[in-house]
Amino acid sequence: MTSRVVAAAVCGLMLLSGCAAPSTPESGAITATSCGMSLTFAERPKRVVTLDQTSTETLLALGLADRMAGTSNLKTKVAPQFAADYRRVTVLSPKLLTAEQLRAANPDFVVASFAEQFTRDRVGSREELHELGVPTFVSAVDCPSGDASPFDRLHQDYRTLGQIFGVEERAEKLISDQQEALSKASSRNIAGEPKVLWLYSVFNDVPYVAGGTGIPQAMSDLLGVRNVFADVDEHWPEVSWEQVAAREPDVIVVGDLSERGAPGDSADEKIAQMRRHPVMAQLPAVRNNRIIRVSGIELDPSVRSTHALAQVARALADISHDL
Amino acid sequence: MISSRQADVRTGRASVLPAAAAVALLASVATSLVIGTGGIGYGDLVSVIGVRLGLPVEPLAPLTDSLIWQLRIPRVLLAATVGAALAVCGAVLQALTRNALADPYLLGVSSGASTGAVLVVVTGIGSTVGVTAGALAGALSAFGLLLLLLRGSGLDSLRVVLTGVVVGQLFTALTSLLLMASGDADTTRSVTYWLLGSLASARWDGVILCAIATASALLVARYYASSLDALGFGADTAASVGVDVRRTRLVLLVVTSTLTAVAVSAVGAIGFVGLIVPHGVRFLAGPLHRTLLPYSAVAGAVFLVWADALARVLLAPQEVPVGVFTALAGVPLFLLILRRRGEL
Repeated sequence: MTSRVVAAAVCGLMLLSGCAAPSTPESGAITATSCGMSLTFAERPKRVVTLDQTSTETLLALGLADRMAGTSNLKTKVAPQFAADYRRVTVLSPKLLTAEQLRAANPDFVVASFAEQFTRDRVGSREELHELGVPTFVSAVDCPSGDASPFDRLHQDYRTLGQIFGVEERAEKLISDQQEALSKASSRNIAGEPKVLWLYSVFNDVPYVAGGTGIPQAMSDLLGVRNVFADVDEHWPEVSWEQVAAREPDVIVVGDLSERGAPGDSADEKIAQMRRHPVMAQLPAVRNNRIIRVSGIELDPSVRSTHALAQVARALADISHDL
Repeated sequence: MISSRQADVRTGRASVLPAAAAVALLASVATSLVIGTGGIGYGDLVSVIGVRLGLPVEPLAPLTDSLIWQLRIPRVLLAATVGAALAVCGAVLQALTRNALADPYLLGVSSGASTGAVLVVVTGIGSTVGVTAGALAGALSAFGLLLLLLRGSGLDSLRVVLTGVVVGQLFTALTSLLLMASGDADTTRSVTYWLLGSLASARWDGVILCAIATASALLVARYYASSLDALGFGADTAASVGVDVRRTRLVLLVVTSTLTAVAVSAVGAIGFVGLIVPHGVRFLAGPLHRTLLPYSAVAGAVFLVWADALARVLLAPQEVPVGVFTALAGVPLFLLILRRRGEL
């Protein structure tokens, strides 16, 4: 009786907010596919557990905080627009979730951005969890198929999750917001075709830069600029400062990971290292301070990536005319 | 009179020690089964096992059942078997090489396992089953290379140790090369975690494989117990009392290296157990291998079961790689034994 009243109230609310999805199943299960596995839900998930920060933020962006049983594995602070909702959800573990912790949380759906979360030494394989009746979701970004851009894959995630949770309209709204941010960025007036170095981190004095497969490459394509390591077939290859200098970037985008807090993580430290390096210091981009700072986590594919893209687009529009 | 009292003490010891060892092992396993996430109690354990035995008990929720049956029980049992395996391998190798610093990883088997595991991760063959198989293949190829380099030799201790160390160095270099060439920070991190040793990936298949390997190795090693005692006096002395020195060395090298390969591929290179436990047991139960080997197995099992229980809960909700704990808990324990023996 009570549950029926609640259900009616929830339905009413959903109607009011325009979220009553046309495909709400009257009978039968909800089905979807995620990264090669088919998922079946007897009813809309109510106890989701997320295994990494990007998946947590995706669900929060879809307004699903009240359906989450817990989060884990926070790399840095959640984006300010999600902070209030994030505080409403239990943090099961600040770091990687263990297989025991996941089962103890009694989830009815597990969502991750990376397939590597579903290994035996982490939360267990996807097959194990499906056998227990717990569907698992892996972001299309981490699913090696086709040549869709990371942005399109993110949108595919939103659409699939929207369908699973019955919040299709929120998903479409999120996608159109993101599309708008993409087209706004690509319409910026950037002169010529500047050569850009995307510097993610510096570990043991070795720079990790964007190769040709990650989201910085997609951003470069969108903005009509050249990623100087586009030819390397990896997300974040480890290169040398000499190679960087040899490719003479006009502009350097530096990822700031200062919230992670390890030595060398902040953008300032990375810039200082380049200024100290005998060869790097001679580069016009370093000498003339043509350096753009963005949040490092936004250089990995997530709902936040459009934020970094907008910053880079704006800064490049300014800088490119002085080149 | 004095001699009869000594005899009393001996027989007393002989009957008390096996019982104490069995009780310690069972109690450790039983206690550590309920340590960890999820508030598992003995009632839950009873119903999980009861359901498997077809008893009329109320089954638990599927996820709680899975936590206990698919994760917790195999994990504790794997800790026990791997602990036993490492301690037995350490005890045998210490006698075989006449080197107090010998441990199961001395001969490069674990370095081979790392190379195999890294190769699998870097080439993206993927899932953890793949990592285990890769590690096993790597460990066995390292040992194969060792045997190849030692062929035709008399398997003299110094030669075995030096060749083993060289093989280990070769595979360590290969591992570094692979990691550098792949150049991916995330790969490096996940492999490093694996190398430190963790029981998080324990499942029944690993338990069964390790248990069979450990039991067979223990039986073979115990068969050679008196030969190992004789080898302690040197190869010439052993040969003079009728020990086939080369054959003994070869059989035991093959047995311990295979067992180490199985253990390392299941859980990574958990340190310290194989080095320290045999020494501790020698202090408590004497140096004769007929008793040293089974007691080392029990002590190693108890030790790793507790180290892993601590690793699960001490920094909860985070888990510490158990290899860190074996050393953290093992060092003071070992110093305590040394001190009580008055040898420090």
